[in-house]
Formats: sequence, C-alpha cells, structure tokens
Amino acid sequence: MKPIKVRTIAETETFTRMVAEKQGWILTRDKGFFDDLASGLQVNWNRYGYFLCPCRDTEGSREADADVVCPCRYARTDIERYGHCFCSLYWSKDFAASGKAPTGIPERRGCGDQA
Amino acid sequence: MFDYLEYTEVEGKDACHDIEIYALSTCGFCKRAMAFLKDQGIAYRYVHVDQTTMELKNKAKAELNAKFNEHVSFPYAVIDGAQTLVGFIEADWRKTLLDS
Repeated sequence: MKPIKVRTIAETETFTRMVAEKQGWILTRDKGFFDDLASGLQVNWNRYGYFLCPCRDTEGSREADADVVCPCRYARTDIERYGHCFCSLYWSKDFAASGKAPTGIPERRGCGDQA
Repeated sequence: MFDYLEYTEVEGKDACHDIEIYALSTCGFCKRAMAFLKDQGIAYRYVHVDQTTMELKNKAKAELNAKFNEHVSFPYAVIDGAQTLVGFIEADWRKTLLDS
C-alpha cells in the first residue's frame, strides 16, 4: 500500500479554501468551528489517506467512502436546501448574509435520498 | 449500553437522565453537542466510535440501528435507553433534556 503523504493543518486549510472558491461557497464564519473541522479533516487524511468528511464515519475504504470525501456528494443540494453542508464547513453566501447559526441537518447518506 | 465499548464519564450536577453519546472525535457538531451538555451541567458518558476498531464500531451501529430502527449518524444520543437524538439541533436537545 502506498504510504500516505502527511498533510499539515495549513495544507488542509488551503484545500478547504480552494474547494470553497471553486464551488462558489464560503467557509463557515465561526472560527472555532472552522478550526475543529479543518483539524478533523486533517486527522482523517492522515488516518485514511483522503479527506473523509469530519462528521461521517468510514465504511472502510476510499471506494466505499467515495460519496463522503470532501466536498461530499450531498453538499451542493444540502447547501441549496439548508444553507450549509452536513458538517457546516461550507456555507452559501445567502446563509452567511442571513446571520443564522448553522445546526444539524438530516443525514442523507444511506437514507435513500441521493438528490 | 455496550460492555465492549469504553465510555468516558462526564460528571454534572444534573443527572436526571441517563445519557450516552456516540460521537466522532473529528466532528464539529459532536463537540458542540457535548459542550452543550457540559455547559448545562448535565452528566453523560460518551465514546468516540472512530477511535475504536472498525469491528466494534460496526457492531455498536448495527445494534443501535436494530434497537431504535433508525439510521445512525453522529452525534447520536441515547436517553434513558429508550429515546434518541440524532445530530445536534440545540432546540431539540434543550427540549428533550431540559424541558422534560
């Protein structure tokens, strides 16, 4: 098995910024929450070799987790529906402008809702 | 609930409910949920399932799924062995744990 190249927290944060910029999202405005999520992503990269969503648990392989590698397959629809993704790392611009606080949203992984 | 998992006890002045939290050590909402309990002085015990073996984690998830007949995502709270809270929506946790 190919060894994992360890990622630093700075590299992980750069990854999240690049995703947000490419997708037209913004990163959570809650600095403490951002730090927790970036740290969780870093742990998952260094544990599994890919950026598993910090709020999902692994099914055991990259193939089985493909739908929840950040940015997850559900993010775009969740951001449209709720203003932020499942873990709340990425927000829509409208949600950020609303001043609302993020909260838990329904898990669609494994629940038959793939939209 | 499961003697094969190692729970960490958190003391609190309010022990009206028996609360078990199944969490991921990497999850922001799991941290928020447990901070809420601590801030409210609510006693609970928790386990970070990502820090157990895959076998034990899957066993616990399967047993929770069978008992409560719902998808297990995190944080997952079991209240008095009979009721659950899935995900952290503070209003729901407040209503279940403080208003009842």
